[in-house]
Amino acid sequence: MRDAGSPGSGSPVAEVFDAVKRFTAPEGGTVTALDQVSLAVSAGEFVTLLGPSGCGKTTLLRCISGFEDLDSGEVRIDGTPMTGVPAQHRPVNTVFQTYALFPHLRVEANVAYGLEVTGVPRRERVERVAQALEQVGLQGLERRKPDQLSGGQRQRVALARAIINRPALLLLDEPLSALDRNLRHSMQLELKTLQHELGICFLFVTHDQEEALTMSDRIVVLNHGRIEQIGTPEQLYHTPATTFVAEFIGDGALFSGTVEGGPDPAIVTGDGLRLTIRDGVPAGRRMTMLLRPEQLDAAPAAADPAFGIVEATLEQSVFYGATRQLVCRLASGAALTVTPSPGGEGDRLYRAEPGDLLRLAYRRAEPHLIEEAHDGG
Amino acid sequence: MKLRLARRLFGAYGVLFLVFVYAPIVMIVAFSFNSNPINMMVWSGFTFDWYWTILGYPTELNEDTLYVESTDQLLAAVKNSLIVAAFTTTISTVLGTMTALALFRYRFRAQRFYQGLLYMPMVMPDIVLGIALLVFFVSIGMSLGLYSIIIGHCTFLISYVFVVVSARLAGMDNTLEEASADLGANEWVTFRRVTLPHIAPGVVGGALLAFIISMDDLVITYFIAGVDSTTLPLFIYGMLRRGVKPEINAIATLMLLFTFIIASLGLYLRRRS
Repeated sequence: MRDAGSPGSGSPVAEVFDAVKRFTAPEGGTVTALDQVSLAVSAGEFVTLLGPSGCGKTTLLRCISGFEDLDSGEVRIDGTPMTGVPAQHRPVNTVFQTYALFPHLRVEANVAYGLEVTGVPRRERVERVAQALEQVGLQGLERRKPDQLSGGQRQRVALARAIINRPALLLLDEPLSALDRNLRHSMQLELKTLQHELGICFLFVTHDQEEALTMSDRIVVLNHGRIEQIGTPEQLYHTPATTFVAEFIGDGALFSGTVEGGPDPAIVTGDGLRLTIRDGVPAGRRMTMLLRPEQLDAAPAAADPAFGIVEATLEQSVFYGATRQLVCRLASGAALTVTPSPGGEGDRLYRAEPGDLLRLAYRRAEPHLIEEAHDGG
Repeated sequence: MKLRLARRLFGAYGVLFLVFVYAPIVMIVAFSFNSNPINMMVWSGFTFDWYWTILGYPTELNEDTLYVESTDQLLAAVKNSLIVAAFTTTISTVLGTMTALALFRYRFRAQRFYQGLLYMPMVMPDIVLGIALLVFFVSIGMSLGLYSIIIGHCTFLISYVFVVVSARLAGMDNTLEEASADLGANEWVTFRRVTLPHIAPGVVGGALLAFIISMDDLVITYFIAGVDSTTLPLFIYGMLRRGVKPEINAIATLMLLFTFIIASLGLYLRRRS
């Protein structure tokens, strides 16, 4: 798709071509869970499927692992078409959201399961189980049963069990969603380290944009079963392809309007707001401008053609330690968040009181513009 | 004051309840050790003789009353009951478990209806089931015997096993089986290593239930037993028709003991898993 960031090194480990999957809704009618989805992931890559619940990300994962069949389209792993290949014969393994540890087996037997059922001899099994447990930091808990483990430990067992067969691709279905915030954060970093050590491709599902930005080499944003954009975290943040991506990732205000040409090009919104934009945008187009909080600052004293100016009333000034976030409202009623840089002009904004009218400025070359046609809606 | 009275009344009620339920059973056990051959209600001393009597050994007490000739019949009845229970338990456990698994795994049209049909034999009056089976066997020209009893018992015991195993399956996480397949196990290995260990307590519980019900079913068996296929409950019923003899107490006590052993075994297995 457009903006598809360059894939990682080497040939693709897994490819999905025009995947379509429909479900029959319980109340009748069909729901399209996947609509013409295509993507490719490469060895050593950490790719995240991101989107709101019901966007099709888990369905895509299940179609790759073999728990669901596509209605049309194809999944290939290491170049081999997977149509008709059952889950147990696919060279992928899954970390389930609920972990799905076998409750009647001890930690070591859970981890060894994949080796045992595929007939790996006992001596090699013992070695590889020890190695996998070491990789996830679980030495000493071999004899425990799953119900004697904490949430974080269970998560690690699930991880060790899934990597023991050395899959070409590891699928992770919201594996961190059951953990508390602190643990989650440290597990994010650990997962990333583990992925680097193992050198296998991780395909990670989450609805948490922060998690996606932290961990991924590339992010696939899904909405209503369609890919909105594929790109690096930076690409998605700075140059979202659609308004959905712009709203879903990071904070920011969106202004839709028609481009006005001339020496001072701008977007004019429906309620008459005029926002200066960069040069070279054809006049008459419908465009949406994305203003990120950090792009806004106090307006310079002297008029400067490099800046666009917005006036807004301060509603709340929230202290965040290193920064301060100003929640403002435009005359049109639209909300606008500003995180001024401390020192210099920004200090003036730090001292502002709720109710003050602020003159804010952004470098007009900075805000990203999204063409209406790309909204797909 | 009022509260104390209420509490005492409750206590008394609890004791009376237990007496009501267990007094007849305690009595029958006590009578089985009473040496009075004429009137069971009058205690004339402790004896094991009734037990010796039913096993066919001559004792002081049975010299004149002599039940000895029926010992062979009693043992034959016990043997019949054990054969019927063993086959019935095996067949209904396998079929009931398979049915529960199928209904758990697949969704199909009229599933609720099918499920309802499976519950039916449990609420159907035994006498109706007994007559229906008899008419059916006769009309298809099948001779009555141990086979007909086994088939008859299976018709309703499958339902019991189905219910017990279904309850156990309802608590199972679907993703366990998916995880097993994901790790490379085929359906059979997944069943043996993941599904079966999970439902094992239910399967064992259902099997024990089926065994005990099959062992002591009288009404349905009464209709579908052949001449040479008298089971233990039928035999006891036959004895009773010739008058309540003290030996019956001994037989009842032994059955009670047997049931206790089976139930304890079930509890032990459940606790271990």
